Amino acid sequence: MSLDYVTADDESQAAIGTSPLDPSDPQHELAAARETLVRLLGIVKETVIGRDEVIELCIIALVSDGHVLLEDFPGSGKTTLAKTLGEAIVGEAVPLSSSDKSTAEQDLAAFRRIQFTPDLLPSDVTGVPIFDPSNNSFYFRRGPLFAHVVLADEINRTSPKVQSAMLEAMGEKQVSVDNTTYPLGELFFVIATQNPLDLVGTYPLPTPQLDRFLFKLTMEHIDRDAELAVLSSHLNRQQGNTGQEAEKTKTVTQQSLLRARRAIASNVVISDAIKVALVDISRELRRDSRVLQGNSTRSIVLMLPALKAAAALDGRSYVSAADIEKLLPHVFAHRLELAPGAGDVKTLLQEIMLPAMEQLARSTLR
Amino acid sequence: MAKLFPLSASAGSAEQAAWGDDARSYRKIQLLRLAAVAFAAWLVSLPITIASGSTGAVFGALFVPFLLDKFYQTGRLAQFRLSAAITVALLLASVGLLIATVLRNGSELSELLSASALTADNPLALYSVGEFIAGFALAAAVCGSLHLLSQRGGAGRLCELTFIACAIVFTLTAHRNGMIDRPFMLGDFALIRGYDPAYLLMGIGTVSLLVLTAINLQEANKVRAVYHLATLAAVCLLLIVFVSRFGLPTPELTNNLGLTGQQGNGGQEDNPFQDSTNDPKDKAAPVAVVVFHDDYEPVDGSYYFRESAYSQFNGQRLDYATRADMDTDLLKGFDRPTDSRDSNTEQSLDYAISPLPDAPRRAVRTTIGTLVPHRSPFGLDTPTAFKRIPNPNATRFDNAYEAISHVPLFEFDVLLGRKTGNKAWSDDVAAQYLTLPDDKRYAELAASITAPLKPEFAQDDFARAWTIKRYLDENGIYSLKNAHAAEPDPAASFLFGDLTGYCVHFAFSAVYLYRSLGIPARVGVGYSVPASNRAGGSSLLIQAIHGHAWPEVYFEDVGWVIIDPAPQQTLVDMTTDPQDNLQQLLGEMLRNDSSFEQFVNAQRESTFDPLASLRQIGRYLAIVAALIVMFGYLAKIQRRFAPRFGAGTRRSLTGYRATLDRLADVGLRREFGESREAFAARCASYTPGLTELTSAHLAATLGAKDSTTNLYQSRTKKSGDTKLSALDWDSLERSVRSELQTNFPLWRRLLGALHPFSWSTTR
Repeated sequence: MSLDYVTADDESQAAIGTSPLDPSDPQHELAAARETLVRLLGIVKETVIGRDEVIELCIIALVSDGHVLLEDFPGSGKTTLAKTLGEAIVGEAVPLSSSDKSTAEQDLAAFRRIQFTPDLLPSDVTGVPIFDPSNNSFYFRRGPLFAHVVLADEINRTSPKVQSAMLEAMGEKQVSVDNTTYPLGELFFVIATQNPLDLVGTYPLPTPQLDRFLFKLTMEHIDRDAELAVLSSHLNRQQGNTGQEAEKTKTVTQQSLLRARRAIASNVVISDAIKVALVDISRELRRDSRVLQGNSTRSIVLMLPALKAAAALDGRSYVSAADIEKLLPHVFAHRLELAPGAGDVKTLLQEIMLPAMEQLARSTLR
Repeated sequence: MAKLFPLSASAGSAEQAAWGDDARSYRKIQLLRLAAVAFAAWLVSLPITIASGSTGAVFGALFVPFLLDKFYQTGRLAQFRLSAAITVALLLASVGLLIATVLRNGSELSELLSASALTADNPLALYSVGEFIAGFALAAAVCGSLHLLSQRGGAGRLCELTFIACAIVFTLTAHRNGMIDRPFMLGDFALIRGYDPAYLLMGIGTVSLLVLTAINLQEANKVRAVYHLATLAAVCLLLIVFVSRFGLPTPELTNNLGLTGQQGNGGQEDNPFQDSTNDPKDKAAPVAVVVFHDDYEPVDGSYYFRESAYSQFNGQRLDYATRADMDTDLLKGFDRPTDSRDSNTEQSLDYAISPLPDAPRRAVRTTIGTLVPHRSPFGLDTPTAFKRIPNPNATRFDNAYEAISHVPLFEFDVLLGRKTGNKAWSDDVAAQYLTLPDDKRYAELAASITAPLKPEFAQDDFARAWTIKRYLDENGIYSLKNAHAAEPDPAASFLFGDLTGYCVHFAFSAVYLYRSLGIPARVGVGYSVPASNRAGGSSLLIQAIHGHAWPEVYFEDVGWVIIDPAPQQTLVDMTTDPQDNLQQLLGEMLRNDSSFEQFVNAQRESTFDPLASLRQIGRYLAIVAALIVMFGYLAKIQRRFAPRFGAGTRRSLTGYRATLDRLADVGLRREFGESREAFAARCASYTPGLTELTSAHLAATLGAKDSTTNLYQSRTKKSGDTKLSALDWDSLERSVRSELQTNFPLWRRLLGALHPFSWSTTR
């Protein structure tokens, strides 16, 4: 179900404009949240062409406090995506989640990129305490993890040691160096990539570590028109960064994103029928002989905020079957371990979720 | 042992594995097996129930094993204990039988039902329904249990095959020994269409054989299976060729008294006392059928058909006359033409009887068709002319001819005082009719028997003959088993011994006694049929059991008169069930005229008409179908108008359902597992309004209970309202309706509206 966001945006603007608004009204809160998301979406889409679905899922993951693993090939625009996303989130200073004043004044970077290699060390990622001869003390020099959006390129090329440091940051939103814990930003968001074809000299992520990623997205080549559009916009960009000023105005504040996250979490309804469908699909997956290891309960728990975000982005105050259809393959596919010869995981998921989806659809007529 | 366990536990899958990956051919074999079982159930049900019961049996035998097959594939059935499953089956059968009994026995329930339109036109309908249920229940229980057994594999499979084989074999054996109308359902079916039921039965046998073999070959490798089937087909083809070339096998009768002239019966023709092969189980086999063209009721209660006579003493016993001037009233053998059976040659008998005023006779014309070969033509006592007629059914009748008989109408009293012997006989011939074994005892016994006669009758031939008959009646014991066969003179052994024997002994003894008294006598051989067997019809069936021998005495100017001893004591039951249907059927076949058509039509109307039962079943089906359709329309109307009356929380549900029904009418249906939004998007080109209605509906059902509005439902929402009013629903639904009207032609919508079950596809 593709939705024309510009139109939806206009519509929502009109709605907000005509109805008497009460800031505490949940309807209003949701409308504001959606406005933020659609705005962010619009900004990123303007730069990253032909990746609408991936952008949408990335924003859903960002709002629902998850991380994304991209399975792609070099030069598919993931850096552009991560950079644009990171740069679009600026504005009001976000207070760090702890009261560590020594690092508080240092503003977090919008975007960092880490190229993972086998010889990378954890301190290259997290940062390292450095001796300051001027005041005879160590100060912590932040690594690239201290950013809103982190692009972890080719995460499967680095040693498990570095991977585990990454995973701590992703799971706990903190970095531990020398027995000292440094908090990360509340909007900390990781886009990790891996190349599925080039497996020589890699440390593939085991299934439990994959479980930390909310989505695993497989990027396909963009279509012809989009590719042409990329070429023309690239030429524009090289001719002169005239749009710099204009781009500056196209931002979303971190504060508004956090507000949106809270509004969505508290105001979007997930009916019992949806939960029943999720559990039924999971149970059916675990029972199926083609699936060696089913998805975890955590995956369903993590999925709930994502479903809510997807619903809100679609302009609904309730989660419906369309949201499940949209997210479920990206949430479940990398969490399953299939028996040899079981075939394509997406096809398998489509097949297994059908009865539960049918039940869900029928439940609305009861 | 551990290795054996999984084998036995999964017999079904092992069976499937034997067919390899060719699961489709396995399924075909299963279907074939189902069909065979249903056919067997039908055959078994034929003699015990009416057409509707047979139909029920077929349904029961098809339905339950089919269900079992379905469930067995899921593997859950294998967990039940076999005894438990069979007990359940039998309990269900009992319940079915109980219902059937209640229906058949005219209880209040059945009276209630018979008052309804279903059975008003036919009082038998209720009984038919009861039979249907009973047949269904019994067949379901028996075939279900057998099928369950067979699915467990191993010896259990044999049970089902045995059931099929037995059903077919028992059905076909009923046809043996000339019972051509058996089994009645198949026989009548074939006969009223003018062909021989034997071919039908052979066809059934052949197909059954093939099917059984195909099922049996399940585990064999396929190359061998093809070889087996080809061999079997060749054998069956050979059989058919043999039958069409040489005809159907005729029944072999053992107790024929030499009447049929068949060889290989241990020389019975030479010695009528050879009774070792007498076998009462053949006694019902039909040998001939007689059609009366004139009404005639015999005075002594039996029709006598004389074929030949033992009249000439050959030094040891009486035998067929070898002299041409003896027994001129009998034809010696058939004048069988060599070219064709149908040639119309008259075989006349130079024999004339001039009936006396006090011993009247009447000419009776009969047509006789023999079902088995006979050595000579026979006719009703006393035949005067034979005429061969075209064989009306060459596969059935061996020979057909007309006989004119001058039947006696007089009582025996008129014979009193009448002389015996024929003046036309030469002395030599007269002496031949008086020759008896050189045994004084005959004359002595005859003298002692006739001694008590009153003086005025002491020299009267009939009185003396009658006294001797009475003596044998009172003292003789009828038995098929006797101890006289090996004696040089069995008659003497019988008469002066235990007086236990059968008709031949009685006849020979009586003739010897008569001859010892100077009364010319001979042993007549032929058939004696009780007059009651005719049962008022015009045809009379002669069966093997009616083969008979009797003493005859020649009275001057009257002819040969049968004086048949009837022993009062008998050790064997020589009665048979009346074969009225077969008698009538063969008679009409022999008559071969337009009345046969009438008979056929009468049979079709009265006894068996598959079309009528089909019509009956069709009528019920039509009523049931009408009820179902009516239910469909009622449900459709209820669902369509429910939103008008519904209010509150159910409003979105009923309204959305009614809209979906409308979409289903024009063929727009949600696929299995398709979400409502996806469906709405798919239909968007026809009904753009559906998207909005769907999201409103989903918001009402999936959203928060207190607020049923969509986030951005601003266009339809009145300002300040948080809930959609009934008016809003109406406008949403109306927009979908008008879109359907513009986007679909009228005929398509009308067609959908007429469909009674379009709503059932709404999901």
